Amino acid sequence: MEHRHAPIRPVRALAIAALALVLSACGGGAKTVENPVTTPGGPPTYSGPAPATADVQAFKINVWDNLKASNRCGQCHVGGGQAPQFVRLDDVNLAYSAANPIVNLTSPRDSRMVQKVAGGHNCWLASNDACADILTQWISAWAGATAGGVTGVVLKAPPIFDPGTSKGFPTSPALFGTTVHPMLERYCSRCHVSTAAASQSPFFASSDLDEAYAAAKVKINLDQPALSRLVVRLRSEFHNCWSDCASNANEMEAAIVAFANQVPATQVDPSLVFSKALRLPDGIVASGGNRYSGNQVALWEFKTGRGTIAYDTSGVEPALNLNLSGDVQWVGGWGINVRSGKAQGSTSASRKLHDLIKATGEYTIEAWVAPGNVAQEDSRIVSYSGGTTTRNFMLGQTLYSYDFYNRSSSTNQNGDPKLTTAAADEDLQATLQHVVATFDPVRGRRIYVNGEYTGDADPSSGGTISDWDDTFAFVLGNEVSGDRQFQGVFRLVAVYNRALTEPQIQTNFQAGVGEKFYLLFSVSHLVGVPESYILFEVSQFDSYSYLFEQPTFISLDPTAKPGSIPIAGMRIGVNGEEAAVGQAYRTLDTTITDSQYGPLGQPLANIGTVIALEKGPEGDEFFLTFDVLGTHRNVRLDPVPLAPGPPPDVQRAPDVGLRVFDELNATMSELTGIPTTAPGVASTYDTIKQSLPTIETIDTFVSAHPVAVAQLAIQYCNALVENPTARAQYFPGFDFAATPATAFAPAGRDIVLDALIGRMLRTNVPTEPSATGVRGDLDLLITRLSNCSGSCAADRTETVVKATCAALLGSAATLVH
Amino acid sequence: MQRTWSTGRRQTWSRRLAVAALGLLGVLQGGLAFADARSQAKRMHDRLAGVPPTEAVLTAMASDIAAGRPTDAAQRAMQHRAFYDVTLKNFAMPWTNRDQTVFAPLNDYVATVIGVVRDDVGFDRILYDDILYAGRSGSGIPALSASSNEHFAALERQGVNLRDELVRTTQSAAYGVPAEATAGVITSRAAAQAFFVAGTNRAMLRFTLMNHLCTDLEQVQDPTRPPDRIRQDVSRSPGGDSRVFLNNCIACHSGMDPLAQAFAYYDYDETAGRMIYTAGVVRPKYFNNEDTFPAGYSTPDDAWDNYWRKGRNSLLGWDGSLPGKGTGAKSLGRELAGSDKFASCQVQKVFRNVCFRAPSDAQDRARVDAMTASFKASGFKLKQVFAEAATYCMGD
Repeated sequence: MEHRHAPIRPVRALAIAALALVLSACGGGAKTVENPVTTPGGPPTYSGPAPATADVQAFKINVWDNLKASNRCGQCHVGGGQAPQFVRLDDVNLAYSAANPIVNLTSPRDSRMVQKVAGGHNCWLASNDACADILTQWISAWAGATAGGVTGVVLKAPPIFDPGTSKGFPTSPALFGTTVHPMLERYCSRCHVSTAAASQSPFFASSDLDEAYAAAKVKINLDQPALSRLVVRLRSEFHNCWSDCASNANEMEAAIVAFANQVPATQVDPSLVFSKALRLPDGIVASGGNRYSGNQVALWEFKTGRGTIAYDTSGVEPALNLNLSGDVQWVGGWGINVRSGKAQGSTSASRKLHDLIKATGEYTIEAWVAPGNVAQEDSRIVSYSGGTTTRNFMLGQTLYSYDFYNRSSSTNQNGDPKLTTAAADEDLQATLQHVVATFDPVRGRRIYVNGEYTGDADPSSGGTISDWDDTFAFVLGNEVSGDRQFQGVFRLVAVYNRALTEPQIQTNFQAGVGEKFYLLFSVSHLVGVPESYILFEVSQFDSYSYLFEQPTFISLDPTAKPGSIPIAGMRIGVNGEEAAVGQAYRTLDTTITDSQYGPLGQPLANIGTVIALEKGPEGDEFFLTFDVLGTHRNVRLDPVPLAPGPPPDVQRAPDVGLRVFDELNATMSELTGIPTTAPGVASTYDTIKQSLPTIETIDTFVSAHPVAVAQLAIQYCNALVENPTARAQYFPGFDFAATPATAFAPAGRDIVLDALIGRMLRTNVPTEPSATGVRGDLDLLITRLSNCSGSCAADRTETVVKATCAALLGSAATLVH
Repeated sequence: MQRTWSTGRRQTWSRRLAVAALGLLGVLQGGLAFADARSQAKRMHDRLAGVPPTEAVLTAMASDIAAGRPTDAAQRAMQHRAFYDVTLKNFAMPWTNRDQTVFAPLNDYVATVIGVVRDDVGFDRILYDDILYAGRSGSGIPALSASSNEHFAALERQGVNLRDELVRTTQSAAYGVPAEATAGVITSRAAAQAFFVAGTNRAMLRFTLMNHLCTDLEQVQDPTRPPDRIRQDVSRSPGGDSRVFLNNCIACHSGMDPLAQAFAYYDYDETAGRMIYTAGVVRPKYFNNEDTFPAGYSTPDDAWDNYWRKGRNSLLGWDGSLPGKGTGAKSLGRELAGSDKFASCQVQKVFRNVCFRAPSDAQDRARVDAMTASFKASGFKLKQVFAEAATYCMGD
């Protein structure tokens, strides 16, 4: 960036135990070439002077023994070889002296030795980062820092530059589809499609344009096409060129240039009040280092980011590296996403777990994992097994529960009975979680989620693990047989040969996972306080976003005082524009004051927020904007949303509808005079009410409705006729004791019909059924039912009245209105 | 119960009734064009009370209508007890449970709605007032209790006339809830049992929006609102994919969580069967799964903010005379009840209940708008809305 300059200034320490080793340039180391053997090769027996001090002894055990091999630093940095001779074989005390200037025991990661290897100097693995991590572990062990000594961070002034114009990816893949995609599809589709025999993610050569575009974005640099991974991979790394790498790279670059040239650059709105800009690499690495790693025998941090090997960077030999197979993708910010596949180590390398754990009889499995869903059952998260029914241990998922199998003298060869977290507790969630499973012979198995013991007791006693099998393989995300798929993201996995204590587990939970940076957004030009910044802790949250948290106002000038600076409406800008979603600090409204400003600055908020990733951590450029900062104001007018237009007209539903359940009950009660609480009626209603209409809309009429209506009508009419008082009032003068022939003689018949029609129908209402017509139908019904061929039962007359009553009461005259 | 008819015979009659019912439809639909005052009065009574009128009432209502006083006719219909026991009860019952079923026992939420309508209390008060309706103490009815619904269940079981037997009281007096902690039906025992139980109390907001603003969360999604108040229990990377959060979760939670904070002191004790209110102490449920996203919002109190006053949800028509923020359920209830959407929602619900359809065309919508204006101008008297809707839909 041409606006950029990078002053390196003395700075203020954030923590008391600060480190301040500023590395000189590492110089050009030899190009990384993977050496053939990954275990220390043939160490000669040491016969020199004994270590003079305990520190020399610690150096020897932890560093010297690991590096002296001829396929590691021992190839050159030995007596008579290249300086510094920190692995000289003749005298470990002299090697110790040579090593001291190139290590930083306070912050092992900042050791020059580590930096050199990280920069590509003779790493003995294919991944420089993995070598650096392993070396860091060894130096940390030497320093005795494994118990979690607090390391500090020194804030250095970042490069100062304005938010530049920047090109963002268009939403539509159309432009990509006409420029870059055809080349990818033509030259890269043998591997970089999900359907290829040797499928290799990312799938930017997919024939599905949307899928290809999503995968290709992080490989394309629109601002500097030559720096696109798609180009660099060909030009400098000679990755599967289709003819001549230089011309292939030029061809690819030309395609990306053609793409980029058609994308307009985004400029920062000049009306905004904005800070200086930063990219993630401009930040200061927050060297957390607070993890407890004592007795750690295997560690996977998934930092490599490409390839098919996840390196064990515990530093404990032999390295249990895992081969990624199937659909397993690297996750930004360190991690792997297992979709349909697994990450498995060899049985020989896995044997170290058997050997080291069996020696202590206890162990811990620690994982930062984000289960992909809470629907998967009997799936393997971490397993050390020989198949679906035989194993040494396994951490798995069943819906909302973690399962922990351990083979011991108290369980079978599959580790059953398992320990599982209570389903009702829903300890497992489909989000990033820190899960730890411990076993020791006394307390047995325990599971901790996010630093807390789940409280689930081991169903079996602890027992011993003397029956463990050393022929099993360690695997993540599946069973070794490949038929117990777990879908989810792994951010870190570690195995210890001790059961971690609760404080140790909490330490590791608090340490978090992934790489964090301190970003210092300069605001000196806005507030007039020298070297003043808004400090953010930023990390790549997952493949699609960044986490911004703990905003703090701070000046790197220890003599500076803020005075009184109002600050409000802070927003995060990405690539020239304010992020559309995730602006948690826009509600910020406070004042930076001398009284609240301390040695660590003034915290502005205690919440964090996620901001969408656009180009990737190397390409995204961040800045801050403010509605109010000091004397600067940016008045925003909230846009007035447009009221939606009226919905389209629809045809009106029919005017008539159904009387619903309660209405029918009340109506029948009203028309018969029988209370709804009458025995028989109430119980029948309770039984059938859900079969009655529940919605008035006539379209919902189904055949079950009249059946239920009839049942209820019969009950009401039955209650009416069975009740001497009620029926006498309802049908005054009617002789229920007479035979039908007598009772329904014209006079009696009229009593019944007059009563029913008079009570149940409203006359002179054109929308009601015709009273005359209804009367005629009921009359016919009475006649038909009265005919019992001279052998009428004693209650026949009552039955006929009930039937006539129910015929009208249960008719559409009641049901429909 | 002695069965009078055989099963087979009953089925025969059922079929006949079904045929009769369908035949009558044609009669009814064909006759609509010729509806007269008696037909209009009959329909009005059927729709409002759910039962047919007596001849005397029908005649009186027809006279009202013929004289150009249809609202009087409607008021006459609403004097029937079934308007309260049946129509209003089933109108409100689905609001009081998560399943939104009408098949639930009478409860204090429903009784309060019935009482408020009967007494022409401003209907907006159901979301913030210290108000409660319960049965008059009488034989066989268990006493009103903060820890049992039996009082109300018994009222229904015994067929008590709710029009006459409901009496007004206060939640603070009847349940011992501090008066400032009452918020109408929101703090009723039934609502607490349904929406404060377990969970995170977001359900209370969601169901209140659904029931009283006719708006579910999908309709108020707005990802542009600041997410600073989204609690720690919401994963920012569900299943390891933060796009899900940034495209979906955030759109509801950014507005919902700062509103649901108003309920931070409320809970429901399933064992005791009663609502819990702990003044000044945030309920533990607000810290469920706090490790899911530790950088999320940790609830310190019951202060709420309405982020939906800006952005697209400003179209809900918030009351400009209110501050848009506050503490506790009462002021939140007032905020919700003060919105245009609250008023229009009540009218739409009544319209649908009486007219058997949602507003379907410009004429219907204009009528609903007019009824909404009238509803607000009249001090939120819901009976008037029923009357106006019944008049509009009584037929030509």
